[in-house]
Amino acid sequence: MERTKQLVTSKTFLIHFILIVGSVAMVLPFLWMILTSLKTYAESIHVPPVFIPKDFQWGNYKEVFGLLPFFKFMYNTIIITELRTVGQLFLCSLAAYAFARIEFPGRNFLFLLALTVLMVPGQVFLLPQYMIMVKLGWLNSLQAVIVPGLFSAFGTFLLRQFFMGLPKELEEAARLDGCNHFQIYWRIMLPLAKPGLIALGIFTTLWSWNELMWPMIVNSSPESMTLSVGLSSLQGQYLTNYPILMAGSFLAILPMLILFIFLQKQFIEGIAVTGGK
Amino acid sequence: MKEIPLQAEVKAPKKFKVSSLTKTRKRSDYLWAYLMIAPTMLGLIIFYLWPIIQTFYFSFTEWGAFGQYEWTGLDNYKRMLEDTNLLKSFKNTGIYIIFTVPIGIFLSILVAVLLNQKIKGKSVYRTLYFLPVITMPAAIAMVWKWLYNSDYGLLNYLLSLIGIKGPQWVSDPKIALYSIIVVAIWSGIGYNMVIFLSGLQGIPKMYYEAAEIDGAGPIRVFFKITLPLLSPVIFFVSIMSLIGAFQVFDLIFMMIGKSSTALESTQSIVYLFYQYAFVLNDKGYAAAIAVLLLIVILIITVIQMVLQKKWVHYD
Amino acid sequence: MMKKWLIMLLTVVLGLLGLAGCSDSDKASGDAKDGKVEITYGFWDKKQVSAIEEIIKLFNEKYPNIKVKTELTPYGQYFQKLETAATGGALPDVLWMNGAHVVQYAEGKVILPLSDMAKKDNYSLDNYSKSLIDLYTVDGKVYGIPKDYDTTGLWYNKKIFDDAGVPYPDDTWDWNKLKEVAKQLTNKEKGIWGYAALMGNQGGYYDFIWQNGGHIISKDGKSVGFDQPEAIEALKYNISFIKEGLSPTQAQMTETAASELFSSGKVAMMFDGPWMVPEYKNNPDLNVAVVPKGKKRAVAIHGLSNVIAANTKHKDAAWKFVQFLGSKEAADVYAKTGTVIPAYNGTQDAWKEAVPDLNLQAFIDGAEYSVPLPSVKNTGEIWQYETDILKKAWSEEVSVEDAVKELTKKANESLSK
Repeated sequence: MERTKQLVTSKTFLIHFILIVGSVAMVLPFLWMILTSLKTYAESIHVPPVFIPKDFQWGNYKEVFGLLPFFKFMYNTIIITELRTVGQLFLCSLAAYAFARIEFPGRNFLFLLALTVLMVPGQVFLLPQYMIMVKLGWLNSLQAVIVPGLFSAFGTFLLRQFFMGLPKELEEAARLDGCNHFQIYWRIMLPLAKPGLIALGIFTTLWSWNELMWPMIVNSSPESMTLSVGLSSLQGQYLTNYPILMAGSFLAILPMLILFIFLQKQFIEGIAVTGGK
Repeated sequence: MKEIPLQAEVKAPKKFKVSSLTKTRKRSDYLWAYLMIAPTMLGLIIFYLWPIIQTFYFSFTEWGAFGQYEWTGLDNYKRMLEDTNLLKSFKNTGIYIIFTVPIGIFLSILVAVLLNQKIKGKSVYRTLYFLPVITMPAAIAMVWKWLYNSDYGLLNYLLSLIGIKGPQWVSDPKIALYSIIVVAIWSGIGYNMVIFLSGLQGIPKMYYEAAEIDGAGPIRVFFKITLPLLSPVIFFVSIMSLIGAFQVFDLIFMMIGKSSTALESTQSIVYLFYQYAFVLNDKGYAAAIAVLLLIVILIITVIQMVLQKKWVHYD
Repeated sequence: MMKKWLIMLLTVVLGLLGLAGCSDSDKASGDAKDGKVEITYGFWDKKQVSAIEEIIKLFNEKYPNIKVKTELTPYGQYFQKLETAATGGALPDVLWMNGAHVVQYAEGKVILPLSDMAKKDNYSLDNYSKSLIDLYTVDGKVYGIPKDYDTTGLWYNKKIFDDAGVPYPDDTWDWNKLKEVAKQLTNKEKGIWGYAALMGNQGGYYDFIWQNGGHIISKDGKSVGFDQPEAIEALKYNISFIKEGLSPTQAQMTETAASELFSSGKVAMMFDGPWMVPEYKNNPDLNVAVVPKGKKRAVAIHGLSNVIAANTKHKDAAWKFVQFLGSKEAADVYAKTGTVIPAYNGTQDAWKEAVPDLNLQAFIDGAEYSVPLPSVKNTGEIWQYETDILKKAWSEEVSVEDAVKELTKKANESLSK
């Protein structure tokens, strides 16, 4: 008994040690980001480094807001992310239900067609999508970012897996009740596919929030920029003034950080599910 | 909600269904189906499928300054053969992939396995490791660029404490790419870790119990039981990581500037694509690069799918 | 359960707000109901934001129905964004233009010729120096109203000079003196460099090349002069500061901007323009002197102008704004805030006196022996080649001779297009 206890504790100690070292590596950059954002420029380039600034320079944050409309960036990013996520959840689940539960002519062909999108790297869509935005006059608008993101082959594929796993009896029963397909989808299937919906929701939210290339290409006016693009613009103006750049970075990640703190479990489970299926 | 009817009762009425009733029901089924897939399919066709064809078309054209283009046939492809920049970007991307994907997967599995043990504070660790995943690459790039700063950054300072003069992490052409690789691995561990953790939890306990009875040590258990049973997940993660790594852009764009001496040795394929498409306004050539990327990824994915039979276990 | 409903509710509310917000932003670039017109003004320098806002305020006293929305884009992305926007017909109504790009934009018909409008409204173009008007004249038509002009000055840090007991720069300085003082002021222990040999054409190697008797573009406009012995010598001199450890290296200046090193006391001297005044005037340690001479005196001269986008939906409002931007009132704002040297004849003294602690006369003197920044159809392309190729010489990866050979070849190709 004594010996196994000893083995257990030393093994546990080793595990914790490794995990702690890794955790420190994970968290250190964030700590450094926050500390730097509160230093003066002179403090930030002081050698040896100043770890804790003498006075907290909240003015750095003010400067970020003063030059670029950061609140607008936040607003834009929130709206874009929200609409894309909700849009995908609705449209993909609708299509996924049909592909999974209804037998109709051309079903397999159309589904395979949708799947080809998954096989193709994003850059292949970029130029023509951009030309579409130019022709529609949608450059520097939120629609330009939102609309293409409403349609997802990945989301359709993922949710179809979920719908396929639901028992057929539920459907039969509802049919006898006189429900049409939409009602079956809306009242019965959708609530049961919640894990899948949450997974897709989290996945899309994360991707949409962090996206850089497409929003940068279509929205280069400060009015319609997203946070990622705003950060790159900040870097263009402030070059290497790191206290301000760090303040901007922290502001940019703050909303998602807050969301994550409240919905940790959902986030992590959601991502796990996308991998499992 | 009515009770679910017994199998027998459900089956019986079918025998007596009038054929016309079935037909109308089927037709309304089809109608519903088309209606429900319509938005997504239309959206996919307009914004994704048709653009694929258009990009192929554009790859045979050359573009002027403000949006005009003309057909030039295979010129762009011929140009690619002599473009040393493009070749270099393939090499850079290749190096990036070779290091990021295997090391990243290995570390994610390691952390997932450790977190799968009986220890306290799992959720705290999980959260901490997941932090970089929810942070936007633009912000990650900025803070790491600062940590890497050769004169005033934290990293070189820490190294100087143990007497090493730190190199120029992001400006030295020889090592800039590897500095970026480190950041990429750092920010990706949490994501794959979560997927692997869920995969590990899906392994039935009976395998482990059997191994314990046989007296197998933890290392043997890992290689003979855990890894093989985890292999479908590893396969999936490696394909996703590979495809993602081929398209690396954000980190490099934010960390390496246009006038950086390390630009040529860190440019990825997609970075070059962006340069040609939106900075140099050479959209035809950029389209050709996109097509090339597509072909390369397809080939590699097919190779992976073929190889999977050799090492992936499905039960 | 409650949390999930709350989130769903929040989602719907935000979504509705978002759609409402969407339609508002569409209205932004159009006409609103009560005869008010909104135009956008695109530019890149954040140091000029407060002066511009003051000018807009004065403009609105005259024209209260024209609202001007500013659009600040960092210089590194400015022309890229413009090309994208021009393709999509989404240029800002009024925007800054520089000499390097005006020919391309004028010939691409994405900016409007202003000569006829000026004649019609009796807007005199004599208020600006001829060379500036010429810079923005393409095919006989004037496309831009000059806004400012800039030359190069030798900015220096008085405190570093004082600490080392070295007298400040004056107009007797030449290339040898610059090098000598840089050596005296470089102090590795304190982490101070004598001179920042920043890689840049305007206010950098162009100035050195001209000072050494070289040229950038030949008189017949068919070839560049980078491979001439004068240019090679000038480039070697420029890079020698890095080679001899008197300047931060190219890599170091990429990681930490030279201007920031300078303003935080790590660099004793560097060339830069008058656009740094709004930022540097708050630092009591800094001052500026005329640029040292080589075989002769030379600095680059350049000036920005305001142009109107061809796709503007509000030509009248835009033209009214451009006229005001080129007026004496606007020039006075720039002058008294010490922001930039205004182009309007006679307003330069006010600029000089705006910041009495700085020797701004150095920039005005520079105009006398200045060389206009070369401007051809493919200037942007040539500048791109300069950056891509010369940076390897700056990082000492390739020799100056090899770099200029490649640069000359590529630049001559651009000139022949």
